[in-house]
Amino acid sequence: MAYVATRGGERAIEQSERLFRAELGRIDAARVAQVRQALPYLVDRVMGEASLYDEDLAALAMAQTGGDLYEAVLVLRAWRTTQPRLAVAAPVEQGQLFTHRRISAAFKDIPGGQVLGPTLDYSHRVLATDVLSGGAVDPVPVAPAARAAPAQYPSVSAWQAANDLADLPAPDGVTGEAIPDLTREPLLFPARRAHTLQSLARAETGGVLALGYAAMRGYGQAHPTVNELRLAEAEIVVAHPDGTEFSAGRVKVSQAEVVSKKGDKLTLGFAATLGWNEVKCIAAATLDLNSAGAPKGSATEEEFFLYHTEGVEASGFCIHFKLPHYVTFQSSLDAMRDAAARRSARSPQQEPAE
Amino acid sequence: MLTTPVADAAETRANATYEAILWAFSRPGMPRRMPHSGEAGVIEALIDRECAVHAADPLLIPPLLQAGARLVEPEAADHVFAGRLTDPALLGRCRAGSALYPDDGATLVIRARFGQGAGVRFVGPGVDGGVKLRIGDLPEGFWRDRARCVRYPAGVDILFLDGEGLIGLPRSTTVEVM
Amino acid sequence: MTLADLARPWAAMSYGFLDASAKRELRRKMIKAVCVPGCQMPYASREVPMARGWGTGGLQVSLTLINPRTRVKVIDQGADDSVNAASIRRFLARVSGAPVTLDTLEADLIQSRHRVPEEILRSDQVLVLQVPNPEPLRPVQPNMSIARQMHADADYGRMWLQLYEQIVRSGRVMQGASYPSMVNGRHVMTPSPIPRWDVPKLHMARHLTILSAGREKRIFAVPPFTRVEPLVFDDVPYRVEDHGGLTCARSGARGVFMNEIPQSDGGSAHEVSDSEWGVKTIRHRDGEAVRMGETWYRDGRFVAPRPGPDPGPRSVRTDADPDPVPGGGAP
Repeated sequence: MAYVATRGGERAIEQSERLFRAELGRIDAARVAQVRQALPYLVDRVMGEASLYDEDLAALAMAQTGGDLYEAVLVLRAWRTTQPRLAVAAPVEQGQLFTHRRISAAFKDIPGGQVLGPTLDYSHRVLATDVLSGGAVDPVPVAPAARAAPAQYPSVSAWQAANDLADLPAPDGVTGEAIPDLTREPLLFPARRAHTLQSLARAETGGVLALGYAAMRGYGQAHPTVNELRLAEAEIVVAHPDGTEFSAGRVKVSQAEVVSKKGDKLTLGFAATLGWNEVKCIAAATLDLNSAGAPKGSATEEEFFLYHTEGVEASGFCIHFKLPHYVTFQSSLDAMRDAAARRSARSPQQEPAE
Repeated sequence: MLTTPVADAAETRANATYEAILWAFSRPGMPRRMPHSGEAGVIEALIDRECAVHAADPLLIPPLLQAGARLVEPEAADHVFAGRLTDPALLGRCRAGSALYPDDGATLVIRARFGQGAGVRFVGPGVDGGVKLRIGDLPEGFWRDRARCVRYPAGVDILFLDGEGLIGLPRSTTVEVM
Repeated sequence: MTLADLARPWAAMSYGFLDASAKRELRRKMIKAVCVPGCQMPYASREVPMARGWGTGGLQVSLTLINPRTRVKVIDQGADDSVNAASIRRFLARVSGAPVTLDTLEADLIQSRHRVPEEILRSDQVLVLQVPNPEPLRPVQPNMSIARQMHADADYGRMWLQLYEQIVRSGRVMQGASYPSMVNGRHVMTPSPIPRWDVPKLHMARHLTILSAGREKRIFAVPPFTRVEPLVFDDVPYRVEDHGGLTCARSGARGVFMNEIPQSDGGSAHEVSDSEWGVKTIRHRDGEAVRMGETWYRDGRFVAPRPGPDPGPRSVRTDADPDPVPGGGAP
């Protein structure tokens, strides 16, 4: 077919992609390893939003998209689509997590103690400009504790429930294949609990923060207290077809439990995600805390915040406005011109005299 | 960067069977041919571990289990494989969904004989005017029962099988018994 | 049994990108969509290697229906040469090996954004429309749960009120594209952002239309010979864009939907929106042998397709006796 314009369109998109990739240069295993090593928290954030736990793949996605995180998450989710679901891991309770950090703002001390773990919370945020003039930042060795800390800690809400201060959610007996899976079923409202938590787990960090922050500033009913914030590793226990259970490895997870002190008892909000991402979990748990009884259309209503924190959908729709819309535009222009013509035909005396 | 994947036999079969199913539901009353005879192709194209299925014909249980379906009572099934329909009450036990969730209405697969039995006329979406046809080997009162289980947009969607032949009867079709 | 028994042999990618279970889910939901015309059916909507809002819904339908013999045409705003159409066409071909075409008459499967081709589609063709927003009620009710209830109750009063207010305010209905339409007398549907010019092409058509919104995870369909009636008041008739009298500056084609091209002299020129119709017109004008299909519009006016059966190829032994009802096809 000799219609040149078609080849033009195909050529244009190919060349524009080349232009983008030329800037990034060669991407190889070394580049991926560098990204993975240098940016673990970014890798975590991307894995969480992609709902795919693989540090190498996440680092590769970041490398090949040049760090455009929306693109990186999209690439990972599209790859995830092609993978079979082989098994469903056994549920993990908070007390079973290999915990690196667990703090509570609700009590001065908690059973098992406050475990600060790795954090920048109390660091002075001073840019290490020395590095640019030839210096280096070498990490100062961590002084070992006199006694090794335990790996596992009970949950704070379990203590509260035992003391009749909070009601824990009723245990959910659904296991294995029967657990609703957001990536294989549409999200409908009122959302199933599993869908809500899965949706928050893969929500876009910035979006969750914006809406969670709105709730914290008073656009929500409940003010959160961080009951427990935990950075941990979870064992992935799966069953072999012959019935033997075995660990397929550990994944980094973070979770936040926030409480509201408004009623007779504490009410709980919860969120968890793959990778270590504290801001997202606190903000998401705050949205969860506020969602019960939230007015329709408010930022803390489940339908509102789940739809609008879905980063792949939101960013895709946002950039789709770059696509040509001249047919719809033409259609509206036609209606506008016709309406204007009718107006002037109806009231010629109101037209300005020329 | 990518090599074009090749369609294997299962993919090719399921694709062709589904083409026939979609065509049949889009044109109620107009027969269509599947690549293979019987329910096996329909199961391969539509059913997997995400489905809750009722099999009225015990011979269909193994292929349904093989596909990973959960076997349930008709009231809980999203797909009902009736085989040759002998129990006239089965239709009334199938899920019809609701006006809020019409997609909860079940898909029924029933064996029948095309060109035999009472004459009926299908009218509705997919039909250019009306189509007259005969579908046999159905229990007494079948068309009345079918009319009863449609409360549009709630209702059940029926796929009649005769060997390789398929006829679709979506809930949107009005059936006149001649 | 071993773990290997549970998984299929490893392949870098499934045929048509989507894995078998994704395809089966779409197949099941497409059946429901066809059986309840115009009703939005929720589906999981997998992530595909294209951004949401760029045709991922249409793409998933195409990927499910495609096979190595499916001749595929992809258009965006009527044009095969638009960059996103080129991108989707390339992807479909790359993951399926299916042949591509620009000619509407040759295509088995047409994936389109915002247009229905000008040539009449046949019963053996499937039109897949990309849908950005599947909910016609969103302008009057942004909350999806409430909108769902309104559909369940066939509660379209606010929809009518909105149109009425436009008429009072502007003397006409101001809806441009995406004109809300009643399907099979029951469900109000958005026909996707096709111009008003294209909506009659869905009414009592011979072809199947599947509309799919990937980001919003809704799929709906207009089977052949199904009523698609734009919402209008008895005394204010439906009006398509006033393009019937325009002439394409490049091809000389008339009586089809046009793109307006602003000119530096302050005026505007027009160009056929269906790019392949434009190409055919030019080639025909230049004396080439070219197959031009019958068009929905003749001399700028919509003409209902002639009545009568068109069972398409590959039908089997049948006692079916098509019995057209006169008047069933008039819009």
